[in-house]
Amino acid sequence: MGKLGRRGAVLLVALSVFDVAACGGGDDDGGGGARDTGGEIAIGSVGPDSADPVLIQSLQAVQPFQMVYTPLVTYAHQEGNAGTEIIPALAEEVPEPTNGGRTYTFRLREGLEYSDGSPVKASDFENTIKRLLKLGSPWSGFYTGIQGATEFTERGNFKADIAGIEANDRTGEIEVTLTEPNTQILFALAQPYAAPTPAAKSPARGLKQPPPGVGPYTLEVVDFNREWVLERNRRFRDIPGIPKGNFDRIKIAVSDNVTRMTQDVISGKLDFMTEDPAGDQLPEVRAQYPERLREAASPANVYYFFLNVTLPPFDKQEAREAVNYAIDSNALVRIFGGRLDPGCTMLPPSVTGYEEFDCKYGDPAAGPNLERARQLVEQSGYEGEEVTVWTNNKDPRPAIADYLRDVLGEIGFDADVKTLDQQVYIEQVGLRRTKAQTGFTNWYQDYPHPADFFEPTLSSEALESEVTFNQGFVSDSRIDKTLDELRGEDPEAVAERWGDLDEYVVNEKAFVVPYGYEESTSFFSERMDAENCAGIHPVWKNDWLLFCKKAS
Amino acid sequence: MEERLDSVLPEGVETAVRSDALEETAEREHVAGVGPWRLAARRLRRDRIAMGFGMVFLVLVVICLAAPTWATDVAHTGPLKNHLTDTVVVDGERKDVVSLDGVPIGPTWQGEFFLGADTNGRDTAVRLLYGGRNSLEIGVLAALITTVLAVWAGLLAGYARGFTDAVISRSLDVIWAYPVALLAIALGTALSLQGLQIGPIEISGESKLIPILIIAVVYVPYMARPLRGQVLALRERDFVEAARAQGAGPVRIMLTEILPNLSSTIVVFFPLMVANAILLEAALGFLGVGVRAPEPSWGNMIGDGVKHILTGPHLAIVPGIMLVATVLALNVFGDGVRDAFDPRARIHLEH
Repeated sequence: MGKLGRRGAVLLVALSVFDVAACGGGDDDGGGGARDTGGEIAIGSVGPDSADPVLIQSLQAVQPFQMVYTPLVTYAHQEGNAGTEIIPALAEEVPEPTNGGRTYTFRLREGLEYSDGSPVKASDFENTIKRLLKLGSPWSGFYTGIQGATEFTERGNFKADIAGIEANDRTGEIEVTLTEPNTQILFALAQPYAAPTPAAKSPARGLKQPPPGVGPYTLEVVDFNREWVLERNRRFRDIPGIPKGNFDRIKIAVSDNVTRMTQDVISGKLDFMTEDPAGDQLPEVRAQYPERLREAASPANVYYFFLNVTLPPFDKQEAREAVNYAIDSNALVRIFGGRLDPGCTMLPPSVTGYEEFDCKYGDPAAGPNLERARQLVEQSGYEGEEVTVWTNNKDPRPAIADYLRDVLGEIGFDADVKTLDQQVYIEQVGLRRTKAQTGFTNWYQDYPHPADFFEPTLSSEALESEVTFNQGFVSDSRIDKTLDELRGEDPEAVAERWGDLDEYVVNEKAFVVPYGYEESTSFFSERMDAENCAGIHPVWKNDWLLFCKKAS
Repeated sequence: MEERLDSVLPEGVETAVRSDALEETAEREHVAGVGPWRLAARRLRRDRIAMGFGMVFLVLVVICLAAPTWATDVAHTGPLKNHLTDTVVVDGERKDVVSLDGVPIGPTWQGEFFLGADTNGRDTAVRLLYGGRNSLEIGVLAALITTVLAVWAGLLAGYARGFTDAVISRSLDVIWAYPVALLAIALGTALSLQGLQIGPIEISGESKLIPILIIAVVYVPYMARPLRGQVLALRERDFVEAARAQGAGPVRIMLTEILPNLSSTIVVFFPLMVANAILLEAALGFLGVGVRAPEPSWGNMIGDGVKHILTGPHLAIVPGIMLVATVLALNVFGDGVRDAFDPRARIHLEH
């Protein structure tokens, strides 16, 4: 999920685990007075990037969409590592794989219905997977391991069948068969974009309004760039493990002005913001509202510059290495207002397989080696080459890109910056025709598996969708082969090989320029219970279903 | 009148008033022998407020033109150079240009980082001066292009009348119908992504030509419409009839007979147009669709500075002061020019 600081997940870091069930049910007194449930809260956000659940890309979209679209299985609504557990949702139980680890059989719970009253059918699930593939969703790569998915995509006929999905509407049984064992498939099926939606209201085209879902809330786009509204789904039936949420209505106020957003949370106009307080507001918030700010947990993420290996100058390894040598993580720490843990690996420290290998380019916490970088640029023959650094307008990304521009200029390139609106940025740099040479990007974990940091961002398979998260357009046989080999393995059992892959990507090939891992924040209004109900989740960053007001 | 003034005004003021009165008398006596340009210049010289603000504008221009000198010889850095991990000695104490939690240094009142730094550790004073160059360059060039387009539109519409007038006037009405700022922002946003391609000419979205052209185009109706009105009146005058009788063609009549009679109006418009163009550029820059980062302009510096108003108020306030001073100086000077050329004129541009 990743992208741009938005999607995310975490795994690890010692998160303090609270008794979130108390908040989740909305009927707990929290040990103090009675919880004030119901009513409305307002959440500030740069906004979901699509109204269609199969086309969402950002974390800002996943957070509300997971409240609306309940998949066959889902992540536990728990803070900390407990949140990475897969639990049954629409399915009665989490299936054990059969057929040599290739087949998963789900059975829908009885009596499930969507928010519009229509019954949930097993075939709706196949319709959702077909939409993911047909509409070129950036997540389609997660599901191409299903038998017949590739053929379905190639054929382009939406009415055609996917051989690996057998759905029986009468019995509610769904059998998913993979081409080969894949330890990530349950994580992928637990994403809100894999949730069934009524086939009759989910055609083979993008939707302007979110279709009905089964989750505890419904979602409506009031004005795509201004306001979205979540309202309690009166037809939601109890599903064990899925909280009902504590509010009748949640308004999402869309704005790209993070400064104003922070002021509105301070004043109580907003109750929460999906973004981090920017600029000098973070020190102010830390000093004046420490009880309203949660900094204890960081979703697993990596911040890096992509380098397009299909275009000059980064089609040459010397040029790519030069950038790695020239980057000074300490400079970037300042741009992040101190919220960056310097590093030089694609796998964040909290993810299985992370190993602190010797950075070929020097200790990330030490200074850059500009002399070596200049030599490499000279050797590449691209001295003076024009390079455009791409970024978007969400703070502090313009500053990050300007730093890279300055560094590229220092080592011998002729660099400039191109800034796009953050809502179109991922799509633009992910299109091959955009020809973005380098720029800002990041990756927030979609699911707790090291493959999530390589498959969408560095594999050839990721290049099959029209908009790719492999913005460097890396197609490397060794990466692809390793991913194929590790796909069916327990990550813990092959952790060392994941570390080796990381070292290959960064040290040997310099395909990317990782510079650190963001430490994100959760900032609430005075009336919200930030201490007990922050809902810090390892996959969704914040689980809004766990939010609650302070006990009265 | 003079007698009464003598009795109540202090000596210095009295002398000035008497001197003005004498000049006015002389002007009335010799007006038949003085050309309109000289007469206007004489009136303008007497308008000390306008001249004072004109001087302020000139000083600002000179300061901005001196940006490279300041950058090279005093600040020892450039407008785009990042100093994120650098330090600077202030009052004998070494300080981070940008602290570890991202707060930039404030004004040092010495050569390096005279007005402090921004969040990328760039020297604010250097960027302020270079930003001024960009703002002034865009303002003046946009005003020039507006003037050229508006003069041609006014001449063609007013002289040709009929279908040509209808087409030009309705086209101008379309632009006029939109609030200036909204139209400019919409165009800026659209063009900043893909740039502009007109036949073989391609302009990148980052080019300064984009805000220049946008500002120039949105202000054309504000100048073209009054000019068209003047042309409609002038084309009926005897000297135009005489030229026509002598066989002069439409283009020659427009250029040699009518255009010179529009010159005073154009001169009056120009400084006001520059002031408005600078202001609009600042608005576009503030919203991120004017001069594109990392190039500085007063507008985008204010926009960036607002985000750090708590710890670095100078980042927004200083470019704001420069912007206000420049626009105020141009507006007051422009009013003076208008009064000098035609005291009864009611030329006004919307801000």
